[in-house]
Amino acid sequence: MTRQNIRKILSLFLFGALLFGAFGLIVGCGGGSSSTTPPQTITGTGSNVQAISVNGGPQSNYADAAFTSITVCTHGSTTNCQVINDVLVDTGSFGLRILGSALGSVTLTQATVNGNPLAECFAYLDGSFNWGPVQTADVQIGGETAHSLPVQVLDDAFSVIPSATCTGNPVDTQALLGANGILGVGPEQYDCGSNCTSNIPAFDQYYQCSTTTPSTCSVSSAALTVQVQNPISLFTTDNNGVIIELPAVTTPQSTITGSMVFGIGTESNNGLGTATVVEMDPVNLIFTTTFESNTMPDSFIDSGSNGLFFDSNSLTECSDVNYYCPTTTANLSAVNSGSTGTASVHFDVQNADMLFNSGDAALPGLAAPAGDNPALTEFDWGLPFFFGRNVYTSIAGTTAPGGTTPYWAYPPN
Amino acid sequence: MLAVEVQREVTVNPMKNLICFGKNLAKASLWMGAIALLAVAFPLAASAALGGDAFSVQGDQIRLRASVKTTKADAYTVQEMTAPTGTVVREYVSPAGKVFAVAWRGPFLPDLHQILGASFESFTQAAHAQKGRRPGHGPVVVKQAGLVVVSAGHQRDFFGKAYLTDLLPQGVSTGEIR
Repeated sequence: MTRQNIRKILSLFLFGALLFGAFGLIVGCGGGSSSTTPPQTITGTGSNVQAISVNGGPQSNYADAAFTSITVCTHGSTTNCQVINDVLVDTGSFGLRILGSALGSVTLTQATVNGNPLAECFAYLDGSFNWGPVQTADVQIGGETAHSLPVQVLDDAFSVIPSATCTGNPVDTQALLGANGILGVGPEQYDCGSNCTSNIPAFDQYYQCSTTTPSTCSVSSAALTVQVQNPISLFTTDNNGVIIELPAVTTPQSTITGSMVFGIGTESNNGLGTATVVEMDPVNLIFTTTFESNTMPDSFIDSGSNGLFFDSNSLTECSDVNYYCPTTTANLSAVNSGSTGTASVHFDVQNADMLFNSGDAALPGLAAPAGDNPALTEFDWGLPFFFGRNVYTSIAGTTAPGGTTPYWAYPPN
Repeated sequence: MLAVEVQREVTVNPMKNLICFGKNLAKASLWMGAIALLAVAFPLAASAALGGDAFSVQGDQIRLRASVKTTKADAYTVQEMTAPTGTVVREYVSPAGKVFAVAWRGPFLPDLHQILGASFESFTQAAHAQKGRRPGHGPVVVKQAGLVVVSAGHQRDFFGKAYLTDLLPQGVSTGEIR
């Protein structure tokens, strides 16, 4: 260890001690600067309520992700069904994707285009993708059912993956996905929409496959009716959005449980309450976050992001992983504003090394840089944002109280 | 500093033409042939954009079904491709004819394997390693010797950039890549 390193450690220690002293002083004086947390009610039961859990998922390694159970049935049957646990709850995507291996003996109805089996390549920004057929199922979540719902069944063995256009690394196993599926309950209905409906689609996402062995696939159009879509949109009631309700967490927890409540203002248990509506840009599904005097116009709320992701001028990055590692918990605040609506938010960032060392699944204040500061402009309010506040996501094209959909709403603090 | 001289150049959209010429089978098949020829001339796997030569831009154009606009700046040329989804990919070509940077923005993710070319594998491996090999979703920032990649956003709003530090022309700030 060099003298310089020792000096660094010493000064860090002194800095930490100073901060600790200052904090102690404030507490000693009987008050801090943090804002009051609004009261939170987590809905317990109801036909539109489904339990969710932040528990690490089936591989016990997925931090800050909410999981739930769904029941997938052969269309038209209420007995030929499979309960699938450990499905990731994702308010940032639209549609249900489930591992083929999690379906057991339940067979689903293959969707077709021009009589040919339909498949999908769903790409992620880290260069990975989901591949597999589109099949229709009756999907029960809590007391709600989406009948004849097109879902993506993740299965690399379904066909030869068309590698010319479906590029990168498939993540279609439990080990790679860290889940048995992804339940996309975000602010739109269709996972592609009109960009996939033309004869020559604007975007390569859907494929027609041959019935030969092995099956080969080529880019195809997909009518909206066969596109993978948000199950909530096909519920007969409570189909205008979802509320994610998770308790406040101040230290790492192995498991926390909460509720996913369907519908906004459709039942006695899903009113807006003290939540403020912040409407999002209906094309790009974004709002503006103002943080550290920076305006970040590409910001969004997403339960499927497993951390808070944003660039900061003040937070220290960890030396080993690409997260923030402040010496002591940083109490921060920001303001989210949409085309209509503005809501403040106080939040904490904790030391990511300390959080990960706990080995726990629910990590409050887990945060990481979003990009190449200051050129990029997003604040990704991932799952830690949901701890201690009920977060509403309404679906575009529906009617919901308090504003024009699509919007997010949460109690400001 | 950027865009000293703007040349609105070629606007080619082979797919749009294909649709327009749909009724005329003979012409359509000619277009098909032309595309096939281009695809052979610039095979997708070989037309690595980032780090590739200026010709590789054409491969990306076909893959993106994009129209192209060329802009000349002091130290480089920008080939801006707009896909039918509205997603824009900008490729920065140095005076030496090398694509030293790419940037993208739009509602649908461009084919990162195509536009990152030979750097794609490094990108995905680093992305996986960086988060401590845990599963998860969020923006990806890769900074390694010679290569910087940022891929961010979410469904309906993706954006990012990548550049090869060794190929950056003198005097070019990475802030210009966007």
